[in-house]
Amino acid sequence: MISRVAESCFWLSRYLERIDTWSRVLDVNSSFRLDIPQSTPEQWRPLVIVLGQEADFLERIGAEHFEDAEVVQRYLVWDETNPSSILSAARAVRENARTIREVISVEMWALVNEFWLWINGRSARRLFDRDRDAFYARVNSHCLMFHGTRYSTMLHDTPYSFIVLGRAVERAGLVARVLDVHHHALRDREETSPADAAQWIAILRSCSAYEPFFKLSSSVLSGAAVAEFMLFDRTFPRSVMYNLDRTGGLLQQILRERPEALPPASQTAFERVIGSFIQMDVEDVLEVGLHETLTLIVDGVAQLCDAIEYDFFPAIDAVAPLGRRIESAPAPASPSSDSAPAPAP
Amino acid sequence: MAASKGSRADSVGRKLFEGYAPLDDTWDEFFAGQGQEAVRPAAQRVADHLNALSRADFRRLKRLADDTFLRSGITFTLYDEKGSTERIFPFDLIPRVIDAREWETVREGIVQRIRALNCFLADVYGAQRILEEGVVPRFLVEGSKAFRPELMGIRPPKDVWVHIAGVDLIRDGEGRFVVLEDNLRVPSGVSYVLENRETMKKTYPEVFRDSQVAAVESYPHKLREAMNAVAPGEGGRKRMAVLTPGPYNSAYFEHSYLARRIGCALVQGSDLFVDRDRVYARTTNGPTPIDAIYRRVDDDFLDPKVFRSDSLMGVEGLIGAWAAGNVAIVNAVGNGVADDKGIYPFVPDMIRFYLDEEILLPQVETRVCAREDDCRQVLDHLDEYVVKSVNEAGGYGMLMGPSASKRQLKEFRKRIEADPRNFIAQPRIELSSCPTWTSKGVEPRRVDLRPFAVTGDDTWVLPGGLTRVALRKGSYVVNSSQGGGSKDTWVVEAGR
Repeated sequence: MISRVAESCFWLSRYLERIDTWSRVLDVNSSFRLDIPQSTPEQWRPLVIVLGQEADFLERIGAEHFEDAEVVQRYLVWDETNPSSILSAARAVRENARTIREVISVEMWALVNEFWLWINGRSARRLFDRDRDAFYARVNSHCLMFHGTRYSTMLHDTPYSFIVLGRAVERAGLVARVLDVHHHALRDREETSPADAAQWIAILRSCSAYEPFFKLSSSVLSGAAVAEFMLFDRTFPRSVMYNLDRTGGLLQQILRERPEALPPASQTAFERVIGSFIQMDVEDVLEVGLHETLTLIVDGVAQLCDAIEYDFFPAIDAVAPLGRRIESAPAPASPSSDSAPAPAP
Repeated sequence: MAASKGSRADSVGRKLFEGYAPLDDTWDEFFAGQGQEAVRPAAQRVADHLNALSRADFRRLKRLADDTFLRSGITFTLYDEKGSTERIFPFDLIPRVIDAREWETVREGIVQRIRALNCFLADVYGAQRILEEGVVPRFLVEGSKAFRPELMGIRPPKDVWVHIAGVDLIRDGEGRFVVLEDNLRVPSGVSYVLENRETMKKTYPEVFRDSQVAAVESYPHKLREAMNAVAPGEGGRKRMAVLTPGPYNSAYFEHSYLARRIGCALVQGSDLFVDRDRVYARTTNGPTPIDAIYRRVDDDFLDPKVFRSDSLMGVEGLIGAWAAGNVAIVNAVGNGVADDKGIYPFVPDMIRFYLDEEILLPQVETRVCAREDDCRQVLDHLDEYVVKSVNEAGGYGMLMGPSASKRQLKEFRKRIEADPRNFIAQPRIELSSCPTWTSKGVEPRRVDLRPFAVTGDDTWVLPGGLTRVALRKGSYVVNSSQGGGSKDTWVVEAGR
């Protein structure tokens, strides 16, 4: 498939995943603050930090608003200068979808377009002001509907693989960031305070993991158990391990069609992330430090994304590598062999 | 307040066509005269159905249709100082109806015209017989901005130049279809034909079922067939792409729509490159050869090596690959010389010259100021003519004689006298009108028609085409940028 189109597929679902995650995190954060004792020092600032927007917030909004739930939520939902806001991400999803309408299904386009018209219009603002929970729930359900529609209406071929790949890598990175927001609470301790328990539940809820956790986990609610579930569970679709597994499978599938002459940097980068992660268990993690492990995952995923970009959608001005690749491939011999349906050499 | 309430209540109960009055000296597409009984046979069934609707019903249907367009993102983008806004192309829910028998003569005329224009292009970039024999003046061809001397001697696959043509038709005061101009470069609008039809089917399923409307849905399939026919290489699956200037082009929706319906890749210039006269797409599996390109990028921007070197939308070396016969470019490059305003008056001569036939579908009688007696006639009756500069488009360099001021006339007279070769003149035609929904109910508004012809191994004409309508009262301008909208065009068998 056309590299630029693959790139749009990949980014479309990455942005969508951000919306999905942050709508849930913001929802949980705004309703769960009621359960968390006043003494909990920071409730909102860590969100801005893990999104990489601390400097921007400081500069444009001001440090005195870091714990103002309304200001932070407006910043994370509506601020168009903030590239990580839900509105900005929705615009990016829609623009990517518009560019590749010929690749996604009509139903997927209709859904994305409808979501954009809604969130960019007045009624979304009204809902946000009147019923915050319903607003986040609606944002979230749009993301879920997209993936259901994608699964049922689109050809399951290469563009599809790039959409799912985008979601898998983004999810692995985002889950690590969400855990990082609360990493203090996840440390193993002798005594657990009610504040800790509330935070564990908040983490589970922000990843729609509350019920799955209790269905699967034999252990009682503890920081270590939550960390273990979110990092290593192989059946929960938002755990880091699940998404790394999925990433590996998708990469293999995509690379299978690729001529061997092309070196798969993404495969190498993937093996590096999974290699360090797969040998760990939760004890190791807690020993190394949860924050350190999460940083490792976040960085590893970022490098993997760079490698995917290098392999499949190199920057347009990097004409030379593509030209070189042609030289190394067997040149089409006759006009008749040119039109053969096999993929390019 | 009370009065306006009262009149609203009246209008709710009124039938759609009640009180409809066709314009004087104008051919109306629905009504041969005043009154409901004057409806034309082909429009009878549609008129009956629509008349069963009240104005309130109609308003409701219109809201539904507009909403469908917006939600499915069938929009064009307007750019202004405040940024960009997406608009739906105004769509009128009253279809334009054409009798199938009349359509057949139009279709034959279009096929004949395309054949002759195709011969002309092959000749102009080849042996130039028609210029040698003086049938078309050489200076007009060589002086045309769209003539590309760089392309001399190139023969596109199967010698097809005009794969996709939009031939703009109007009806004159007597209701005869006449050709106003040819669009042989990158004619647009076909996606609206297809989407308008979808919307009409949803909006009036029962009218549709009863009217036996000729189907338009095979257009993408015909286009694919034509591209397949001209793509080089033997049998097998040819690799095709639609080349777009990018998502910020106002017609991006159409480019993407067609790629989707043809089932091929939509590419931008930067997605393609040429290596040893072969075109490749940059794909996730490395370079993949491309056999046929439906390009929606203008000639000027197509290949920075041959045309504008500052073009970022093009593909360097594309023309070389085309000249080598390794790729089909649809439409061919250089076609603009055949749809030039200065060449248009000679199409009847071309038809005689290449086909030894008389023109079937008349065109607007045109005075060529390069001819001395034509020029005198035009200058003597300047206030009766529409004068056009042959090298300008989009309404620039145009004089509307009947509505021009004394000063404008005087100024144009000077320009024509200074450079008569640059001008042609036509009488003003009273474009036909069609009943159209307005804020004051149904009123006559002027329309034109752009049918689409697709040529591969042979020529297929989409039944009907895009009817554009001048929504402003009294206006003759149908362009969407200037208050124009569109209608679905129904070719139906009268009396069915």
